[in-house]
Amino acid sequence: MMTSYVDRQEKPKIGLDRDAALRLKNNRLGMTIFQASWIMVFFAIIVVNWQLRFSYVQWPPAGVAPFDLLLPSIATLALLLSALLARRGWAGLRRGRLGEFLASWRLAIFLGVGFMAIIVYEFATVSEAALATQYGITLRLMTGFHFVHALAILAVMLHVYRGAGAGAYRGGEHDAWAIEGAAKLWYFVAVAWILFYVVLYWIR
Amino acid sequence: MATIAVPLGGQAEGHQADAVQRPALSEYLRWSVDHKIIGVQYGVASFLFFIIGGAMAMLIRLELWTPELDVMVSGAAYNSLFTMHGTVMIFLFIIPMWAAFGNFVVPLQLGAKDMAFPWLNAFAFWLIPPAAIVVLLGYFVTPAEAGWTSYPPLSTLFSGDGQTLWALGAHLLGISSIMGSINFIVTIFNMRPPQMTLWRMPLLCWAVLATSIIAVMATPFLAGALTLLLLDRVAGTTFFDAAGGGDVLLWQNIFWFYSHPAVYIMVLPGMGVLSEVLSVHSRKPVFGYRMVGLSSMGIAFVGFTVWAHHMFTSLQPELRIPFMITTMIIAVPTGIKMFSWLGTIWGGKIRFTSAMLFALGFMSMFVIGGITGVMLAALPFDIHVHDTYFVVSHFHFVLFGGSVFAIYAALYHWFPKITGRMMNERLGRIHFAFTYFGFLFTFFPMHIVGMLGMPRRVAVYDEAFANWNQLISFSAFVLGFSTFIVIYNIIRSYYRGPVAGANPWRALTLEWATTSPPPVTNFADDPIPFEDPYGYGTEASVAYLNAVEAAFDGRENRTILD
Repeated sequence: MMTSYVDRQEKPKIGLDRDAALRLKNNRLGMTIFQASWIMVFFAIIVVNWQLRFSYVQWPPAGVAPFDLLLPSIATLALLLSALLARRGWAGLRRGRLGEFLASWRLAIFLGVGFMAIIVYEFATVSEAALATQYGITLRLMTGFHFVHALAILAVMLHVYRGAGAGAYRGGEHDAWAIEGAAKLWYFVAVAWILFYVVLYWIR
Repeated sequence: MATIAVPLGGQAEGHQADAVQRPALSEYLRWSVDHKIIGVQYGVASFLFFIIGGAMAMLIRLELWTPELDVMVSGAAYNSLFTMHGTVMIFLFIIPMWAAFGNFVVPLQLGAKDMAFPWLNAFAFWLIPPAAIVVLLGYFVTPAEAGWTSYPPLSTLFSGDGQTLWALGAHLLGISSIMGSINFIVTIFNMRPPQMTLWRMPLLCWAVLATSIIAVMATPFLAGALTLLLLDRVAGTTFFDAAGGGDVLLWQNIFWFYSHPAVYIMVLPGMGVLSEVLSVHSRKPVFGYRMVGLSSMGIAFVGFTVWAHHMFTSLQPELRIPFMITTMIIAVPTGIKMFSWLGTIWGGKIRFTSAMLFALGFMSMFVIGGITGVMLAALPFDIHVHDTYFVVSHFHFVLFGGSVFAIYAALYHWFPKITGRMMNERLGRIHFAFTYFGFLFTFFPMHIVGMLGMPRRVAVYDEAFANWNQLISFSAFVLGFSTFIVIYNIIRSYYRGPVAGANPWRALTLEWATTSPPPVTNFADDPIPFEDPYGYGTEASVAYLNAVEAAFDGRENRTILD
């Protein structure tokens, strides 16, 4: 008699049919793996910064003024607040509160734009002396590389926000994946920036 | 013999005695989200690149027939040729070829209807043709000359626009690889039937899982390195230029942090194939199943700690010994696999099918590649043979003796499932003989000329090596000829091969519990896997296999003595 076969069916999650539950599970795991994978590019660039700074006797190199901390710190705070608001909005929509979502994301996007404006300013105002060394070049590399990601993901957030405003999402776990995904991508932007911020502005 | 009830689930329903039509050939030329179509698309495209890369290898060996420059117009032209050969073989043949088998087989082995993200799967494949065009186009502009490793300053100051196209193409291929790997990991974790725990999963799936973890964690480093290379080439930055405060070793560190694990991206799926083929064709359970699965993970993990052995001659002296040790440690999980394979076939009822011959060929060749790998891990020896043909021999024993032999084993093993037809076994054995001996006499003598001091990457060499090089080139032409045999066999078998049936090898994994080729949704309902994917030689397994045959092919039952 065969007893080792186990004939059981996967129980669907409450409120979701089996295929939809699997799709959501796949999306969530896929997003986590993507985040773990793509953060490695940022680590690679940190390795670049690290190795290049050891080419110099001191860091920042002699004759180059250290980058000012004030504006990047304000930008970092704005980005963190933006990420928290994105989360608040997503949680609100899961509870069916569209108004809370829209208000939170409006502010999150606004703060995101503010963050990017400061980063553009930082990129554009690197001194000639810094740009003559890897100190300035790596700042441009890191801020520029991060900016491209922030811009793309902010565009996704804007798209989702407009969709929600037009009634594309009813709330609940299933059809809020676009919002969950966009929010998680925005967290990614925040985490990647914190890594860069610490390496660029704090570790000398 | 006891009567054993075998719950096949929905595998058989709706398929009994119904032959599933093969997709029209035009299906393979279109966008499709079916993992089986995508698998074949990967396979055919990769094989075409294998032919292109192989033709380049033939030109290289023709050039090296004599010690003088006689085929290529210059040393620079020779540099471009071996640069493209390496690039095509690694990025466009071996890595995507494993995506071919992974795509076709893994969802079937898991009893899934498709991959987790079918659209992303198709997109990952369709990035390859434009990437290949960009890379190959570079060869006809002002070609890259820096080898597939593209070390600066060769790749920044001394290569033309082809190097820029090379970097762009490699970028696209890396993105494709990451997307494909995310898909594999999610599919393996989420799409298994509830009865199939990780410890009941086929070992090919374990190998693809380990490979995919490497790909998602390492390939982004390549993306970072290529971004810097492109910026240095087109935007005037100086990341790799010491005159501008940069560092050429920066490239080597980042590149090898990807590219050494990439060796395992190219070999681990082959190791998974071997566990499948050896077990099925010797009718024995895999010896040490859990250790084989864990050793794949071990290789994936340790693979990230060895990259600097590629830089022994340029590395800070105090870092050499640690990397020598980690490099030697990686032989341990690899050795576990080798012992497992030997234990698997030991005392088995071995059927010397073409698939089995290539699997055995893999074992014998990969042992040589592994041993020379340990030799190269030893610092004094590595410095002695640095940049010689010994190194060329070593990595060909790993990547051809390993990967390509395993690809052929996989082809002969799963061709019946993919096409519904058997390959010609006689031609397969002839193909094996030409490949095995052609390969052995091409690459084994390279150890000798390498230790005698013949440098790699040169078109002109010392007269003393002429006889050895003629032997090597002749054998390489034999090896090249062997490819025509398998191409003929594939085409002939596709149209005129005997009908395979659902399970011609009487294998226990789920891909054999559906028609050949499988229907669009793979299985009519949720399939129920056999309790042990390699549990051959038991009454239960015979009953299961009989039930599969009766359900799909209407054959009579066999006994355990068959």
